[in-house]
Amino acid sequence: MSDPFSLNGGAAIAMIGKDCIAIASDLRLGQQSLGVSNNFDKIVEINSKNFLALTGLATDVLTLKELIKFKTNLYKLREERDIEPSTLANLISSSLYEKRFGPWFISPIVGGLSKKDNKPFICGFDSIGCIDYSNDFIVSGTATDQLYGMCESLYEPNLNPEDLFETISQALLNAVDRDALSGWGAVVYIITKDKIVKRVLKTRQD
Amino acid sequence: MADRYSFSLTTFSPSGKLVQIEYALNAVKQGVTTIGIKCDNGVVLATERKSNSTLIKNDTNTKVEYITPNIGMTYSGMGPDFRVLVDKARKLAQTNYKRIYNEYPPVKIMVQEIAKVMQESTQSGGIRPFGVSLLVGGYDDHNEKFRLYQVDPSGSYFPWKATAIGKTSNSAKTFLEKRWNENLQLEDAIHVALLALKESVDGELIGENLDIAVISDPQDQLLGFKGTTIEGPRFRKLTADEINDTLDSL
Amino acid sequence: MDIILGIRVSDATLIATSKAATRSISILKDDDDKTRELNKHNLIAFTGESGDTTQFAEYVQANIQLYSMRENDIELSPKATASFIRNQLATSIRSRKPYQVNCLIGGYDTKTGKPSLNWIDYLGTQVELPYGAHGYAAFYTTSLLDKHYREKMSIDDGLKLMDMCIDELNKRMPIDFKGVYIKVVDKDGIRLIK
Repeated sequence: MSDPFSLNGGAAIAMIGKDCIAIASDLRLGQQSLGVSNNFDKIVEINSKNFLALTGLATDVLTLKELIKFKTNLYKLREERDIEPSTLANLISSSLYEKRFGPWFISPIVGGLSKKDNKPFICGFDSIGCIDYSNDFIVSGTATDQLYGMCESLYEPNLNPEDLFETISQALLNAVDRDALSGWGAVVYIITKDKIVKRVLKTRQD
Repeated sequence: MADRYSFSLTTFSPSGKLVQIEYALNAVKQGVTTIGIKCDNGVVLATERKSNSTLIKNDTNTKVEYITPNIGMTYSGMGPDFRVLVDKARKLAQTNYKRIYNEYPPVKIMVQEIAKVMQESTQSGGIRPFGVSLLVGGYDDHNEKFRLYQVDPSGSYFPWKATAIGKTSNSAKTFLEKRWNENLQLEDAIHVALLALKESVDGELIGENLDIAVISDPQDQLLGFKGTTIEGPRFRKLTADEINDTLDSL
Repeated sequence: MDIILGIRVSDATLIATSKAATRSISILKDDDDKTRELNKHNLIAFTGESGDTTQFAEYVQANIQLYSMRENDIELSPKATASFIRNQLATSIRSRKPYQVNCLIGGYDTKTGKPSLNWIDYLGTQVELPYGAHGYAAFYTTSLLDKHYREKMSIDDGLKLMDMCIDELNKRMPIDFKGVYIKVVDKDGIRLIK
């Protein structure tokens, strides 16, 4: 109660597969126990290989979506190339730490493939920018505990894109069903070297 | 009070020229010749350090400077102005790039930052333009390519395969045009740089009187520690002995 | 306890706001209008801290009108209007004294010919919704709206649904809110229904 991180609710997750990554989130936006919207997108496409998912206080989710998009657009103009996932992670980290003593109440997740060798990259952050690198999965939001449980039991390394989609979807869906503040629909992005697949999942609406 | 009457010293002449910038270029033209050569596997920055007296302890005076582990910079023109720019460049590389992205800037971004400082000095109140032209050489991690840039007092910058600035820059450039080719290797580039300098140096060419740096392969021994996968700096100064050895083989 | 309620129907957006202006245990006014016209096709409805609400709404109104004056009588779209308001509130929430204003933006986009309802709270949380409300009214009406809202509704259907909501509120709210003003935003602009 009155914790800014769990006012609006929401959950996000990223996973590494074989030469691919998946990133997903729920679609709920609420005011404490009251559901307000079942179409609140928490994932931004930074460029064709890099995605950012944000959970936490919805106003800060919107602000940071715009801020990071703005910074990466300027980056592309200045450098004449797309930002790399590891560089993006450090950019987000320094942007969050800039507000060390009045933080954005969010827990971001970055997922992408590097430009040169399409190496999968995922990481998470705390609200003041400490990077949590991972070789398997990263979770965030009000269903964090449930997501960890699902990931620990369902995840296996080197899944192909189709199997990774199945794993991440089941992990997310079953986690949010045990969280009153998450759910109300979900989106999953599967990123491989030559295409992005977005799937909107129909879920229970209670 | 000072800032209230702080007008720009660089103002347009009726013919549309900024004469202060032309004077700055004259200062560069009087400076010691500096050579920069880029090839597939590295960049060479070479210049002469002149001393008027044998009593001067010359080996502490450096003219080619380290900016980031993969970028070096040298100049023709006024030494004190150069040192100011070196300080600013090193600081900009940290504050405007490394502290944001946790990696060093590509050469072009570094050059743009330096050029911005030089341009601002032509439009700000109470200050004069920098009396130097710079050669900035370095390596870009993202495309695995070497780069060589010249930056002028006006703030304009140019990418080069090989170029010269300073007193004998015109003749040196003609020489480089003849000697440079697509499959030049770093060792050849150092040779060519020395030959080009030889033309402009009055006395005998010796290693002690030359300042040369190369940006090429990672120099892990310069790192100061072992046992990691971290690459060493690519920027390396040549010692007087190394230069003398090369001079002997000319 | 103020009521603001919005429903987007197929070619218009309906906004209902309670007429009572209350302070502590007193009803000060029974014809209070909690809306402001931002431009011809954008209406803001607001609740919250009493001084802040009108101050903020009129500040936004002035800025939206200033935009049209500067930009050759171009109207800011509902989407842009809502983004502007969100931006103001998101900036305000991290200031020394934030505006405590929740609002609904009823709009009709003359370019795309589509009505819209934007829900924005005092934190700067913004969502585009088919129907929505702020405060206690949301608890009493959302289930009704969930059940009876249809994607393709006429203005009359919308007004009927709105009346159902108002009846429910009249029945369940502990204090008389003195009825509501209902306004419609559509291609012809903004008009008061009752």
